[in-house]
Amino acid sequence: MIRQYKLIGNPGASQFQVTGLIFLVLYSVATVQAAEEVRSGKQVYDAFCGACHTAGVLQAPRLGNQEDWRAREKQGLEVLLSHALKGFKNMPAKGGNPTIKDEEIRNAVVYMLVSSGFDQYADKSATGEEDKKKTDTVVTEKKAPVRKQLASSANQFNRLMKSSSDWNLPPDKDGIHDPETPGTLLLQAPRVAFDSLSKAKSGNRVDWVKALEAGEISPRYERLNDDAKPVVMDLNIVREVKGSMPDVVYPHKQHTEWLDCSNCHPAIFIPQKGANQISMASILLGQKCGVCHGKVAFPVSECRKCHSKQKTAATEANQQGN
Amino acid sequence: MFKRCKCIVFFLSLLATPTMVGAEYGDVLINNYSDAAGMRPVVFPHWFHRIRFRCKVCHADLGFKMEAGGNQINMLKIIDGEYCGACHNGEVAWSVENCDVCHTGKAGQPTQVHQSTASKLTTTTKRKQTESVQ
Repeated sequence: MIRQYKLIGNPGASQFQVTGLIFLVLYSVATVQAAEEVRSGKQVYDAFCGACHTAGVLQAPRLGNQEDWRAREKQGLEVLLSHALKGFKNMPAKGGNPTIKDEEIRNAVVYMLVSSGFDQYADKSATGEEDKKKTDTVVTEKKAPVRKQLASSANQFNRLMKSSSDWNLPPDKDGIHDPETPGTLLLQAPRVAFDSLSKAKSGNRVDWVKALEAGEISPRYERLNDDAKPVVMDLNIVREVKGSMPDVVYPHKQHTEWLDCSNCHPAIFIPQKGANQISMASILLGQKCGVCHGKVAFPVSECRKCHSKQKTAATEANQQGN
Repeated sequence: MFKRCKCIVFFLSLLATPTMVGAEYGDVLINNYSDAAGMRPVVFPHWFHRIRFRCKVCHADLGFKMEAGGNQINMLKIIDGEYCGACHNGEVAWSVENCDVCHTGKAGQPTQVHQSTASKLTTTTKRKQTESVQ
């Protein structure tokens, strides 16, 4: 089946058939070799399944959560596998990606079961010996954190920092949407949208400026016009700051990619040197830069993104003298 | 003594729960009129919209103030093409008959920008005050 797919998918295939059988045989051998690189369960999971099965989008059983899997596991591996291959309820056939091979889907299902505490499936995965080995290493890798999680509930208390599994939760699990209303289930899960975007350490965990620069997103600059280009102004403003922190460099360029002058001037910032008193206290409370930073633009925990210019020796000496 | 510690830990964990919502950074909960009108409040996902539009479109061209709940939006304004209605009109984006796609919030929540630094700081202060009362 794989071979057929490859041949059909390649426009050069028919030429080979015409040119001669030998070429066809050689070609088939080559494609089959390439095609037989079956990816491990973890690889498939990370590339495809994880988009839903990490956060539990549309009630997908979550990786590492034995409760989610218990009733499903009772149906047996073959039933689960057929659901994954052919689709079942919210689960689309092959996760909506028909290019994934059947063996790879099997590996992914086994990987998810084993990672969710059903160790008995550890040897049920692979088709080839090589792949067995791969899955085995994955299994041991993955076992450790699962056990750790169970053993150390005392260590889980962390009031101010969420674990990565709590980032970008799907709407029905995020605590503010009502999971009872059908509208909630129609909404896109953030993780699905963010999957292909540049990552950041905070906020939405997306680096929006990078995503825009790299063309990963192309938001409109005008409501109805796809082609309108922003009026970009390339001017850096340096603000010298007190204390040991590096000075702030404010780049107009990245801001005008998104915003209009009137968004900031003159209501938030008077466009005149020395006319604006800005302090971290006011920013933290949502004033000045804090109108966006700390609400929707990257949060204030990213100190060095603004405080980026090392003070010169002269200014430092001058400040100490004061 | 040990029991008391346990009680305190339990109490702290209760206090911590309301702030532990997993809302996306920048999600705006708008409940100016919804609760009073018996509708679920609106959740506005900033992230979804900024993938499609730059800030300028809503915050300069359409006149959205950069303040949660600061725009006094109601359904009449929307069907007349103001605010959300500038796009949610069946031409640029789906139209207003899909009430429960916007009105998806749990009832009784206050208007706020979720995960904002300011809200985190004020919640912490409130919590400390409650703790000291204990």
